[in-house]
Amino acid sequence: MSAQVPSIPSNGSVNGNVLLEAKGVTKRFGGLVAVNNVDFTITQGQIASVIGPNGAGKTTFFNMITGIYTPTEGTLTFNGSSIAGLKPNQITAAGIGRTFQNIRLFANMTALENVLVGMHTRLKAGLAPILLQTPAVVHEEVRARERALQLLDYVGLGRRIAPAAARNLSYGDQRRLEVARALATEPKLLLLDEPTAGMNPLETAGMTTFIRRLRDELGLTILLIEHDMLVVMGISDRVSVLDHGTKIAEGTPREVQSSPQVIEAYLGQGGAEEKLAQMKERSHARTA
Amino acid sequence: MSPAVRTGISAGLLAVVVVLLFGNLSGVVLGLLAGAGAAILLDSRVEWPNRNAAIVGGATAGAVAGLLILVGQFIHDLFLMPLAGQPVATAPGSTLQAGLIAVVLAALAGAAVGAIVTQAERPRQLGLLGLLVAFVILFPFLDQQIQLGWTPTVISVLIYVVLALGLNIVVGYAGLLDLGYAAFFAIGAYTTGLLLSPQIGINWDHPLSFWLVIWIAAAVAGLFGLILGAPTLPLRGDYLAIVTLGFGEIVPIVFRNLTRVEIKEPFTGTCLIGCDKAINLTGGEAGINPISHPWLPLVGQFRTGQDLPWYFLIVAIIALTIFLISRLRNSRLGRAWTAMREDELAASSMGIDIVRTKLLAFAMGATFSGFGGAFFASYISAIFPGVFDFSVSVIILCMVILGGLGNITGVILGGLIIMMSDRLFLPQLATLVKNILNTSVLPTIADPAMKDFVATSVDPSQFRLLLFGLTLVIMMLVRPEGLIPNVRRRAEFHEAEAGAEATVATEAKAPAK
Ligand SMILES: Nc1ncnc2c1ncn2[C@@H]1O[C@H](COP(=O)(O)OP(=O)(O)OP(=O)(O)O)[C@@H](O)[C@H]1O
Ligand SMILES: [Mg+2]
Repeated sequence: MSAQVPSIPSNGSVNGNVLLEAKGVTKRFGGLVAVNNVDFTITQGQIASVIGPNGAGKTTFFNMITGIYTPTEGTLTFNGSSIAGLKPNQITAAGIGRTFQNIRLFANMTALENVLVGMHTRLKAGLAPILLQTPAVVHEEVRARERALQLLDYVGLGRRIAPAAARNLSYGDQRRLEVARALATEPKLLLLDEPTAGMNPLETAGMTTFIRRLRDELGLTILLIEHDMLVVMGISDRVSVLDHGTKIAEGTPREVQSSPQVIEAYLGQGGAEEKLAQMKERSHARTA
Repeated sequence: MSPAVRTGISAGLLAVVVVLLFGNLSGVVLGLLAGAGAAILLDSRVEWPNRNAAIVGGATAGAVAGLLILVGQFIHDLFLMPLAGQPVATAPGSTLQAGLIAVVLAALAGAAVGAIVTQAERPRQLGLLGLLVAFVILFPFLDQQIQLGWTPTVISVLIYVVLALGLNIVVGYAGLLDLGYAAFFAIGAYTTGLLLSPQIGINWDHPLSFWLVIWIAAAVAGLFGLILGAPTLPLRGDYLAIVTLGFGEIVPIVFRNLTRVEIKEPFTGTCLIGCDKAINLTGGEAGINPISHPWLPLVGQFRTGQDLPWYFLIVAIIALTIFLISRLRNSRLGRAWTAMREDELAASSMGIDIVRTKLLAFAMGATFSGFGGAFFASYISAIFPGVFDFSVSVIILCMVILGGLGNITGVILGGLIIMMSDRLFLPQLATLVKNILNTSVLPTIADPAMKDFVATSVDPSQFRLLLFGLTLVIMMLVRPEGLIPNVRRRAEFHEAEAGAEATVATEAKAPAK
């Protein structure tokens, strides 16, 4: 018997189709241009990474895709329809799930409830049926709970953790719970904002493997922001580099690593060579 | 000192305060409550080795509480009464008798609780619920029997409990600080007033049925929850509180002024409504009076002064309210409220429509206050704008905060404590103090100015709002989460544990990651 893989309905599109396309996306905060005229595409089944120094505009880019910010300029197309200007919940319903850089779980709710909240758009129960507790509602709720438990299992937390308040979980577990909650929204595209931040090397390695499993087993398309080069170089099909809001390079991990602009922007002038060498070494060790 | 004795003393001391005020057979009611309360408190502190231990422990705790009541009974009869200038009406023998009844009842209640709490989860819940239901049903008869005369006060207290349960949705679940909640209470009451009185020309001899009107009132209040909720959507925290405060002020003023309603078609000026004579919709300051009462087969017409049917009606409304709210709470919509309160941005990123979720919270909260308003209008048989002022909103909010934001049991307990203190205990304390002053203190003061000062200023009922304020401040400092905070339910815990065991097998076979 194989591990219970929560089924996420596929939208029928084949690998290779463009899933998300950003054209000339810009975000200004007053005078500050946080994201500047960025073009970006991700195709079905890819794992893509966005990297860049602190304050480069990575999270702001995510926030535009997920509807938290409206782009000042530019278009965003997801699965063939425009999503710029939609509200976050509409974008979630359209099939984009996310996690947050600084964990934003519902701290006083249980792990189970956190995941159930993620299912909100996929559940149908309305006010009157809930008040009347129609059989359909009861059935839906039972199924939802079972599926939430499966998801907890799937992300490696186990069902036992279900009744624990989210705030009492360890840091690494909280990150996993955020992934479970995002998976509960049944996304086609999953955005992970620094999923390994604050994790020890062992947990980081686990998370890296897990991200690949998400793509391989669930057929998800994954876009991640990551500072850990080991993770980025190990699992990304494509890497885009942001610096001061502008996309300065894009390509396979290998291509990006050898781009002089990236070296300069990302690592600064001093000691760039050594750092880059280190970076390459570690990623080779990883892929070997 | 054993835990049983300690919890008995805690519960007993609370009960004694009331017994000191009321004396007579109040110890009977208080004995039952204190006995059960002591045993429940005890159960939360002790692991029982077996059922007999629990029964003995509960009985001990109850008996200790009962003994304190007995002492209180003697102090009241032999010390306070003479001090207040009332003859010792009852012989020491009957005081002892009343006290002993309290001891026996408290011990029995404690033992019953002890027997129930050691059951398995399900019978335990049913058992405690059964005890509660039995007490609630028996209370008015008991009250009649021992001539306490608490039932009318309890009825008006329970109206506020309904309101607090409704406000708990808005403030406790959804985290929207609403300072104008009395507005919806007013809207429910006025809707009922208009439909159950001759005010707008409904035939008084064939009035509408209360059973229909209460639903209309709830629906109208809910609708106004939506209408008044909509403009507050972009607001948070302080700003939301200020705007709702404004609505809370506006609504009674509107009712005060809808005395000459005349509607003209705006372009041609043709008169549509109130043409011959402007309609007096709300009766202004004098309000609407009379308002008809419910009718039930067997019971017949509900009457003012006949408390039993009213009591059971409001209890039924509370039961329905709790029933519906807990269904909401454990649903997709209830979770959306909590998630929104915890983190609005994360909630909307998880697919929750913030606008709809907020509006639903306002509407549902208002709907339940509509039930309360309808009952209130019919029970009092008259309504005027003065009873829906700001202090009502504040008191309801205090009830919710005292009991524990977001916890139904806590809110009910908080509501009972605050309103019983306000409506029952404080007035009684005021009378007692006044009597004691008049008979025992004032005659000893020679200086007439001083005498006058003491007579007018020592009046506990004047400290009513001060006491609320103090309670709130102390609560916020000592126990900001409320008396019974919103803890994770035990049942859910057990359910998940059972689930976990079942999956260990599958996990073991699953390939390791
Ligand atoms: N709501 C906002 N208002 C004003 N400025 C903002 C806002 N959000 C982000 N910024 C600014 O935009 C720039 C980009 O921020 P962003 O969070 O996108 O960077 P980042 O690449 O995610 O950095 P990090 O690696 O530190 O997470 C920063 O200078 C930040 O201060
Ligand atoms: Mg960031």
